[in-house]
Amino acid sequence: MVIVMEKHTAESNIERVMAELVTRGFDVHRSTGSEHTVLGVVGDVAKIDTREFELFDGVQEVVRITEPYKLSSRTFRREKTVVKARGVEIGGADVVIMAGPCTIESEKQVFEIARRVARSGARVLRGGAYKPRTSPYAFQGMGVEGLKLLRGAADENRMATVSEVMEISQIEGMLPFVDILQVGARNMQNFNLLTALGQIRKPILLKRGMSATIQEWLLAAEYIMNGGNYDVILCERGIRTFETYTRNTLDISAIPVIDKLSHLPIIADPSHATGRRDKVMPLARAIVAAGADGVLIEVHNDPDHALCDGPQSLYPDQFARLMDELRIIVPAVGRRL
Amino acid sequence: MERSDAEREITRIRDAIDRVDEVIVRLLNQRAKYAIEIGEIKGHLGLPVYAPEREKEVLLHIEKTCDGPLDAQSMRRLFERIIDESRRVEREAATEK
Repeated sequence: MVIVMEKHTAESNIERVMAELVTRGFDVHRSTGSEHTVLGVVGDVAKIDTREFELFDGVQEVVRITEPYKLSSRTFRREKTVVKARGVEIGGADVVIMAGPCTIESEKQVFEIARRVARSGARVLRGGAYKPRTSPYAFQGMGVEGLKLLRGAADENRMATVSEVMEISQIEGMLPFVDILQVGARNMQNFNLLTALGQIRKPILLKRGMSATIQEWLLAAEYIMNGGNYDVILCERGIRTFETYTRNTLDISAIPVIDKLSHLPIIADPSHATGRRDKVMPLARAIVAAGADGVLIEVHNDPDHALCDGPQSLYPDQFARLMDELRIIVPAVGRRL
Repeated sequence: MERSDAEREITRIRDAIDRVDEVIVRLLNQRAKYAIEIGEIKGHLGLPVYAPEREKEVLLHIEKTCDGPLDAQSMRRLFERIIDESRRVEREAATEK
């Protein structure tokens, strides 16, 4: 951290800042310039709230050089983290496709979709049992009964499972059926939930909040990792912008940015980002081309009658076609599918 | 001066620089030992490690002692770093035990 003092500020102002830093156990590198004096602060500066020092008289600017996130940062770990979920490796050479319905509705539905997406090459079966719906009157999910169906359908097709956890009380009941627990965009800053997920030893798929900056997102991952659970997969799902044509704007640039800042695997969800089936396929191609470690995509055998998010779900045939397209793109970016 | 003579001369001067550096390092460590002693006393008495008045004195003393070719400002900048490190060892000595 660097504290830049105002031009020709009084020596007493500099001394007050230095005294505060030294008292708190930080080391200071003072550099007196002809106009500005600059104080380099050495120590565990992540603990410092920069605003405290901005309020001192004579301080012009406080600049952080290191990121406030640690465990998730590339500085902490150079090599990419590979998260393993029931034999599926996310973050390795393979691009992993996770597909399935938004919500588990019935045995017939989930088994049918699992068969179709597995045949096309999906390795992870998604399906919600607890649904965070915008309206309390919308279908809220099948709960544990739904998770059992998800597990059965995944086992039949040798797939791993991913499903959303909405609150701490659900974690325990989900563990036998779910290989990757998903934290939804709305819960990205539910710090109690994140802390609880740091205590378990199962991969967590952390969606980006729809108005979260990349730094806030990585700090959310930090909550989970701080508890000792290092298997975090980040998932971009679109952010709120001024554009209303699509539901959210998929931030493709977050993929290379995360890859630079963090060692955690990064995937993206084109279904929730756009909310429209016809936009899902081109975005899925872009996600893979941008270097993502995977794609999370909604597929429904009968989207027109789906209980949740039908308009953004692909038909199984469309999904098969998309997979054929991805098989051409993936080797071009040096990956496998 | 022949090229080979010049190279020999540079080697000789560089060697002299190395000798000077050894002395500087020895003296800096001697200085740090004094700082540590002060740190221990301050720690014992609960006095603050950062003593801005004393730092000012040290720098003024340096500037007065300095007679070139480095000017007073350059010497001051060099000593700011020396003082930074002294403050660090003093702080460590004061907080130990």
